Amino acid sequence: MTTLQLGLLYAGSTVAALFSGIPIAFALGGVATVFMMIFMPAASVDTIAQNVYEELASITLLTIPLFILKGAAIGKSRAGKDLYDALHTWLGRVPGGLGVAVVLACGLFAAMAGSSPATCSAIGSSGIPEMRRRGYSPGFAAGLVAAGGTLGILLPPSIVLILYAVASEQSLGRLFLAGLGPGLLLVALFASYAVFQWRREFKHAQSVAYGGGAHSPILADEHFTMAERMVALPRVLPFLLLLTGVMVALYGGIATPSETAGLGAVMALVLVGIVYRAYKLADLRPIFEGTIGESGMLLMIIGMSLLYSYVMSYLHISQSAAEAIVGLHLSKWLLLTAILLLVVMLGFFLPPVSIILMTAPIILPPLRAAGFDLIWFGVVMAVVMEMGLIHPPVGLNLFVINRIAPDIGLGPVIRGTIPFVLLMAVGVVILSLVPGIAMWLPNAVYK
Amino acid sequence: MSAHAELDLSRIDVPRVGILGAVQSVLDVVNNVLAVASALAIAAAGLVLTWEVVGRYFLDIASDWQDELSTFLLIGATFASASWTQARRGHVGIDALSMVLPPSVDRIRRRLADLAACVFCAYFSWKCWNLLTEAWVDDQTTPSAWGAPLWVPYSCMTFGMALLAFQQALQVLAPRKDAV
Repeated sequence: MTTLQLGLLYAGSTVAALFSGIPIAFALGGVATVFMMIFMPAASVDTIAQNVYEELASITLLTIPLFILKGAAIGKSRAGKDLYDALHTWLGRVPGGLGVAVVLACGLFAAMAGSSPATCSAIGSSGIPEMRRRGYSPGFAAGLVAAGGTLGILLPPSIVLILYAVASEQSLGRLFLAGLGPGLLLVALFASYAVFQWRREFKHAQSVAYGGGAHSPILADEHFTMAERMVALPRVLPFLLLLTGVMVALYGGIATPSETAGLGAVMALVLVGIVYRAYKLADLRPIFEGTIGESGMLLMIIGMSLLYSYVMSYLHISQSAAEAIVGLHLSKWLLLTAILLLVVMLGFFLPPVSIILMTAPIILPPLRAAGFDLIWFGVVMAVVMEMGLIHPPVGLNLFVINRIAPDIGLGPVIRGTIPFVLLMAVGVVILSLVPGIAMWLPNAVYK
Repeated sequence: MSAHAELDLSRIDVPRVGILGAVQSVLDVVNNVLAVASALAIAAAGLVLTWEVVGRYFLDIASDWQDELSTFLLIGATFASASWTQARRGHVGIDALSMVLPPSVDRIRRRLADLAACVFCAYFSWKCWNLLTEAWVDDQTTPSAWGAPLWVPYSCMTFGMALLAFQQALQVLAPRKDAV
């Protein structure tokens, strides 16, 4: 059997196993094991358990459960609502300030919690009703939170970037720093759109009111006193200190990424215990249940995906596929476009963890050969996978929003996210034209 | 990121009546104990890594066991909680075909998918068992100065995957009308 035939059989078997409904981890592990039995030396199948253990026994990968614990501790507390309330009081005078506050709160919360659904849920559960009460259209309010939540896979400590660092053998510290600029770019794009759309809805409400129609709450003037603004700060400051403390520990040479994950998790639990008095068993239970459920599922997928990639590499499928792509002699940007479209299509069905681990051995060598910086590409890939969180059919954030605001309906939520998908595409174009947005900071810190 | 990580409680389908229900009740106790142990292991790993920073940075105590211990704890937590996660259908899969297949065909598809996953996990557990016995007999340790025994993580993998396969078998055998 030629490598091409073998590769097609491997891909076909994988698609069949995944679409049969077998959980992703066991589908990938099963396909890899069957191919080991048939196409690899008999003794190799005896090493599957050891392979998975050795791949998982990476201290970088094992930061994931601890970052998830940190996110769960913050996500299950009232920190999201407090953060959003505080920003709202400070941005009250800005046109569309409520929407801008939601975007900023999503960005900050995502950086603390590192989870897109947790960000959507924490900010959206108070932000969406508040925006609707102030006259924002339901789709706009939902789209703003769904899109803001996606920042969780771009801003450090993004689990997607941790996995990409392992798959591409790039520095995790550099990747985290490279995610900051594009994260801020997306925050700026989303906030600008929030102001633009608010103005449109404000003008529409004005014309309705002038015509004798209903007076929308969006027309109401908001004002917060300095005392109200100051009162909102104390509950938020400890978490902002946690955010900066973790970054200082990581980049100040105090702690390694794994130590930072442990330190962050412990500090988050302590802060939630002190600030929200969440130290009883009933408070801790959902935090730990969420952590073991999510991290167990993710690490099982990661372990089996790495076994899958090992088999693909042993059978020379990934190398041959990479050589074939290089052999196409595509122009640099056509190659990038084709690969990003592939990532978008895979994002219809697969979570980012599987996309990264399954495709990295195939797509990274041609990208490196074409002269792309793999740190830069990792960040661009993360932005593209962010789109997958808010576009149908499996955009996870859409379903989180649908759960916390079921009366809006999935249709308006999807329509509300479309402008943000386009803004992310614009973000990818800007990052391609100005790669320094991503690379300036890591290049400045790691000289 | 936690894409696709939310548990779909509507899909929990463990048996609750008859002999299978009784077996599931026992397994629930084991799953819950292991879930608590996993939670404690993750918290302990956080404390170990925090101690590593505090010890090195503030107390000038250098040691080499923390990374390996936290690795053991986190691998142990992953495999020990696998069956608990499976009971809640927390191991996510692609369910797109359920939207296009007739319900009766889709039920068969789900059952076959569960069976395939169960066979794989049982096989993987057997391979872990081989690894465990080898590590035990040969007294294998990690290559570091600490030299931690490898049978510890291997035993978590073996029993975790065996329990996971057992949980999946119960879900395959559970009559749908009795499932909760």
